[in-house]
Amino acid sequence: MTVSRRSFIQSAGFSLAGLSMKTEPRISGSFVNESFQQGHMLRDRAVFAAPKRIEKIPVVIVGGGIAGLSAAWRLQKRGFRDFVLLEMCDQAGGNSRWGENEITAYPWAAHYVPVPGRKAVYVRELFEDLGVLKDGKWEERHLCFSPQERLFLFGRWQEGIEPAVGLTQSDRDQFRRFEDQIHAFRATGKFTVPMEVGLADDTSSLDRISFADWLGEQRMDSHILHWYLNYCCRDDYGAMTDQTSAWAGIQYFASREPDEKGPLTWPEGNGWIVRRLLERVGSFVRTSQMVHKIVQNGSVLKVFAGDTEYRPEMVIFAAPTFLAPYLIEGVARLHSFEYSPWLTANLTLEHLPKNYGGDPTWDSVFMESPTLGYVDATHQTLRTHVDRTVWTFYWALAEGSPSQNRQMLLSSDWNHWKEAILHDLERVHPDIRQCVSRIDIMRMGHAMARPTVGSIFSPERRRLTELHGRILFANSDLSGFSIFEEAQYRGIVAAEHVLNRLSGSDCLQLHSLPSRGTSE
Amino acid sequence: MGILLFITVLLISACGLIYELVAGTLASYLLGDSVLQFSTIIGCYLFAMGIGSALSRYIDRGLAYRFVWIELLLGVVGGFSSALLFLAFAYSQGFEFLMYTLVIVIGVLVGLEIPLLMRIVRDRYQFRDVVAHVLTFDYLGALGASLLFPILLVPHLGLVRSAMVFGILNAAVALWSTFIFANQMARTAVLRFFCVIVLAALCTGLAEAKHITQAAEDNIYADEIIFARDTHYQHIVLTRFKDDIRLFLNSHLQFSSRDEYRYHEALIHPGLSAIAAPRRVLVLGGGDGLAVREILKYPQVESITLVDLDPEMTRLFSTNPMLTGLNQKSFLSPKVHVINDDAFPWLDSDAESFDFIVIDFPDPTNYSLGKLYTTAFYKAVARHLSEQGLMVVQSTSPMFARDSYWCIAETIKQAGMLTYPYHVYVPSFGEWGFVLAGHHEYTRPATLPAGLRFVDLKGLPALFQFPPDMAPLSMPPNRLNDQVLVHLYDQDWKDISH
Repeated sequence: MTVSRRSFIQSAGFSLAGLSMKTEPRISGSFVNESFQQGHMLRDRAVFAAPKRIEKIPVVIVGGGIAGLSAAWRLQKRGFRDFVLLEMCDQAGGNSRWGENEITAYPWAAHYVPVPGRKAVYVRELFEDLGVLKDGKWEERHLCFSPQERLFLFGRWQEGIEPAVGLTQSDRDQFRRFEDQIHAFRATGKFTVPMEVGLADDTSSLDRISFADWLGEQRMDSHILHWYLNYCCRDDYGAMTDQTSAWAGIQYFASREPDEKGPLTWPEGNGWIVRRLLERVGSFVRTSQMVHKIVQNGSVLKVFAGDTEYRPEMVIFAAPTFLAPYLIEGVARLHSFEYSPWLTANLTLEHLPKNYGGDPTWDSVFMESPTLGYVDATHQTLRTHVDRTVWTFYWALAEGSPSQNRQMLLSSDWNHWKEAILHDLERVHPDIRQCVSRIDIMRMGHAMARPTVGSIFSPERRRLTELHGRILFANSDLSGFSIFEEAQYRGIVAAEHVLNRLSGSDCLQLHSLPSRGTSE
Repeated sequence: MGILLFITVLLISACGLIYELVAGTLASYLLGDSVLQFSTIIGCYLFAMGIGSALSRYIDRGLAYRFVWIELLLGVVGGFSSALLFLAFAYSQGFEFLMYTLVIVIGVLVGLEIPLLMRIVRDRYQFRDVVAHVLTFDYLGALGASLLFPILLVPHLGLVRSAMVFGILNAAVALWSTFIFANQMARTAVLRFFCVIVLAALCTGLAEAKHITQAAEDNIYADEIIFARDTHYQHIVLTRFKDDIRLFLNSHLQFSSRDEYRYHEALIHPGLSAIAAPRRVLVLGGGDGLAVREILKYPQVESITLVDLDPEMTRLFSTNPMLTGLNQKSFLSPKVHVINDDAFPWLDSDAESFDFIVIDFPDPTNYSLGKLYTTAFYKAVARHLSEQGLMVVQSTSPMFARDSYWCIAETIKQAGMLTYPYHVYVPSFGEWGFVLAGHHEYTRPATLPAGLRFVDLKGLPALFQFPPDMAPLSMPPNRLNDQVLVHLYDQDWKDISH
């Protein structure tokens, strides 16, 4: 039985060599979109160069995230063109930024908008403008395709993220009681998107305890229910239930009444909306223009950015509000604003894991993981066949103190986070290292506002939301938490206020000014 | 004595190689990726042989007696290996585990054979002669086996019976070893008794092999596989039984050459004949060229665009003589333009308009294919339909998948078209359904192309009648964000099979 043994051994040797090359693919990647250095310059009161020129322009929008872009969209839509939008990064979009490689576009942070209810008037107006909502119907291809979500628990996948398998009778009872409670809260009409529309003082007692404590009061102690609610709070607020105001925990569930199976999503996540907005207002946007000082001196308002000193009538401050004390002279430190650090990673996959499990799904979540799972960027493709794809991996550093987590986020190197991400994925996909060729990681120290206990009804927050003076705040964090609809609402409301103010005595003068949108 | 001994070497060498080739071929047939299968099987097998050779040194008494037992064991394990693997593939999840277990067991036993045999005969010959002769016949046997296997065994006996024939040879070697080494062993009567039992079992197996393969392949492919290829997109299998050629894509029957004319005539003519002056036709899917063959029966059609994802598929049906015989070389017509692309994005990127659009996709077995049966998809198709144009959709069986069929009809309606569902009996499929749709009311054709074997004017109205067991059901539409069809289809076929 030694026949052709030599050639057998050779072929076996080749196949072994081939296999061994396959087992250790190199995973490349780096940190990307780092912007905290610029932020730290402000924090450390760095000295910036003196401006070389002065530009008079009626309105300056600070910050090119969804709030700033929405303000711009509103101004432009109302025929007002005498403004500029200054964005610190080289790409507008803020938490809705996106990336693109040879496979697909992919999100860097916010990746969906829940199908807006009737009260989200401005969001519906935007989607009508973008052709997503036509004659009261949602355009199918912008809605998340089936199958939408899945959860890995007890060694298997289930459809949907709300745990449905392995529940005891007591778990089921508690889920049902929780749903009944939410239903009752929803019926009050006091929990709405945007939150300001329904916000009522008689719900303020809910803001005085944590969501975890509220659940304790309701005698809801099911481990699996707590996991689910913690997941939801981590996902929308970057916080655990014991650090989230009960009001916000309830808001998450009670504010939404979708009349269509959603959410709305795109390969590049909410970057798709940014792209559409930039098609409309891109000519007003100036990127890589970090505003480093805003001074109000009697009747003169000055905004310093790069080598230019802007002299606007009004400023829409759409950047995160925590930056205000570092930028605006005379603004005191803000106490009721806390932010969650986040990490997102985009993983390039050469092929799906062998045990992917069922049909490709948009959002995959693992129970008992500190991370939020991953979203498949090619899920919204119209193709029937996809070989390579990009997964966006989300990780809100929710447990522990935000400042310590921020420190850990910034001090650990790319390799540390790469390994942490792969370890988490390996629990579900053991061969993930054979599939991934690249991992790019984005670290965000202040990714989103946390609706901590007392933050929703804090006088500080409510004072900043009142639009008065010449500097109007507009970031989503004014709502206490950072979601698309809140950002858009704050941006539009600020823009409307600007239009009302300027249409008064100065109106004629303003409109006689040449349009500065595209001039440099 | 000498020649008998060396024939023994030749035979056992051939048997060992055959079992290995059987495992490799079976794995390549059933799992695809033949390079990987052969490589890993050869690797495991050689490694196991090494283990066997190493173990041989621990056998120090009763060499001949144990040699006979090894031959008998090999006869049983090797002889039944192929049948076992077929059954395991058809009825269990453990095919690969069983395959590697068998390969390792056989490898260990084969690894024991030659060292033992050499030690048994070392007293009769000089050492250098033993080595030279044994290895010479070992190599010769393997050469014979490797030539016999592809030329005679696989085409004429098949994998199951080939393994059994060589199992019988192994058992026969065991039996005559009890004679040629009679002076070196005890209890030869007991050994011979077992040899006879094993031989009888293998002969029965050989006689019954047809039933075994049928039982196993009923769950896979009923007929002989004449072509199998893993393309980038799917697993293409062609089978033939006498004059019946069948195409399977990912194990789903696409057509049987005996009755595909019923399917394709019914797919094309009720719609295309009803259009006054059809000039431009679009076919989505249909990479077998059989629908195109029917469309080419209309001389007034000037161009046929066919969009099929898999270039291997359209190439196969453009070049393989047996297959171009079926589609009458339809892809070679200058009117036909083949585009290998995914249909949905292609529709989005193209602006042409067509008088007749044929949609002939695989059934909606998963969410990826399900996208091609959504309101969004049919709206995209409708944008390409000329004012008086019609489209026709292969819509699964209104009999076996009644919910799915009426769900597809409802989906097309919700995409804003008038729908005209009809059905046809195709023996190899059973009752099969189509949906005609357009912007305007459909009137049945007054004439049909000459030479049709199934569709005729008299029979046409009956196609649009649905008896009570296939009658319309109220179903929700299938939408990209709510693919009810995949669930319905899954449930429909589960209900049928239980």
